[in-house]
Amino acid sequence: MKPKVNIVVLVDVIGALSDDTLHNGNLSIVDDSALRSTGQGTTELCTVVSPGQVVGWSVLAVDLQTPVEIRSITFLDPEGRPAAAEPPAADGAPPAGESSAGEQLDLDDWTAVVPPWMTPGVPYRYRLELRMHEGPHSLFELDTPALLCGGPQN
Amino acid sequence: MTQQLAIIVLVDVGNALASRTLDDNVYLFDNMKLHGSEGEGTGDLVTVLNGSYWNDGSQGTELVLNWLPYSLGSIPPTVPRGYQVQRARQSDQQALRELAELGSAPAGTGAGSAAELSRIRRNVGTPVSSTLRAGGPAGRKVLDVTGQIVTDAGASVHSVPAPIITDIVGEAVDQKIMYPAEYGSPDLVTDGWYWSATVDSSRPGTYSYTMDIQIHDLVERDGAWVWQPVNLSCESRIKVTSGPKRNGFTKAGMGPLPVAPVTFPL
Repeated sequence: MKPKVNIVVLVDVIGALSDDTLHNGNLSIVDDSALRSTGQGTTELCTVVSPGQVVGWSVLAVDLQTPVEIRSITFLDPEGRPAAAEPPAADGAPPAGESSAGEQLDLDDWTAVVPPWMTPGVPYRYRLELRMHEGPHSLFELDTPALLCGGPQN
Repeated sequence: MTQQLAIIVLVDVGNALASRTLDDNVYLFDNMKLHGSEGEGTGDLVTVLNGSYWNDGSQGTELVLNWLPYSLGSIPPTVPRGYQVQRARQSDQQALRELAELGSAPAGTGAGSAAELSRIRRNVGTPVSSTLRAGGPAGRKVLDVTGQIVTDAGASVHSVPAPIITDIVGEAVDQKIMYPAEYGSPDLVTDGWYWSATVDSSRPGTYSYTMDIQIHDLVERDGAWVWQPVNLSCESRIKVTSGPKRNGFTKAGMGPLPVAPVTFPL
């Protein structure tokens, strides 16, 4: 089993900002899973993972001089709502899996271990939130990628 | 952060030549206002470089700086590189055509010929000699910023060659905070060369550096016009910070994926 699966999000930042969407070819996701992931290079990548593997997300701007960072990664329930929707903490701290505005998103390392409690064969869709610079139109969301647990591997 | 940083060095070449200094004649601009750079558009830019480190102390982010020198009062750098040579050739061809027409004009129009010749001479413009010692761009004529031929180079306003960074030195380099070097580039907007640097973010602080910049003065020498290099320098600063890398999900160490332990309807 590969110890780590890398998911790389490629973004055309100028395209996304001017189209106001991550679609239209402005975003592409690929992974290096040894299992049979589907939708490579699209916004609908379904990455096949195994329990115990580390999954890491990173984002790359197609134009190297444009800013883009991952702001949050939130798993969705079958109805497409954020599954772990916790009310914001009373002290105003951002909920888990989310960075508050003004924070240095470049410090975040988006890695986690695939837990044993994922149901095999079921795609777990997640919401990928990206931030490009800091203006009122800087946040973008994508609900289409997913992780799928392919069961334990040797 | 994977974003590369660009610092535009815009030089008011005309005033810099007149006062023989870059003080108050340079405008610096970077793309790091988002991360706290200050003084954009002034000669006193502080470029903020936010680095990071992993929990073993190793550098977490590769910071890359790029410098782009531009000139205030030049033909825009985005026009094709052969434009100036092409304009020179066009004006020569036009003069030859007009001379041929003048030669084939019927006799008896002699009074007009002198005026015609003088007009053709004006249109030919001012070629700039190429001398190895003087360096500078050659094979061209003096143009104004709209691309028109300049007849009297000494009196008229003319376009100047883009400034060239010849070295980057100073505190930030001496203390090995940044490692600048000049690289070849396929981008002819920068004349095929550009200055770039990587940064060691392990020692936060504000460090100054000096750019040696060459601009060109159009001077008449032995009856010919040449671009004479003038070497000046200007100072800027970088402010390096460094923060610890942390897990995006937990804001601390790595944990399991935040997926709810629920059974999906199959």
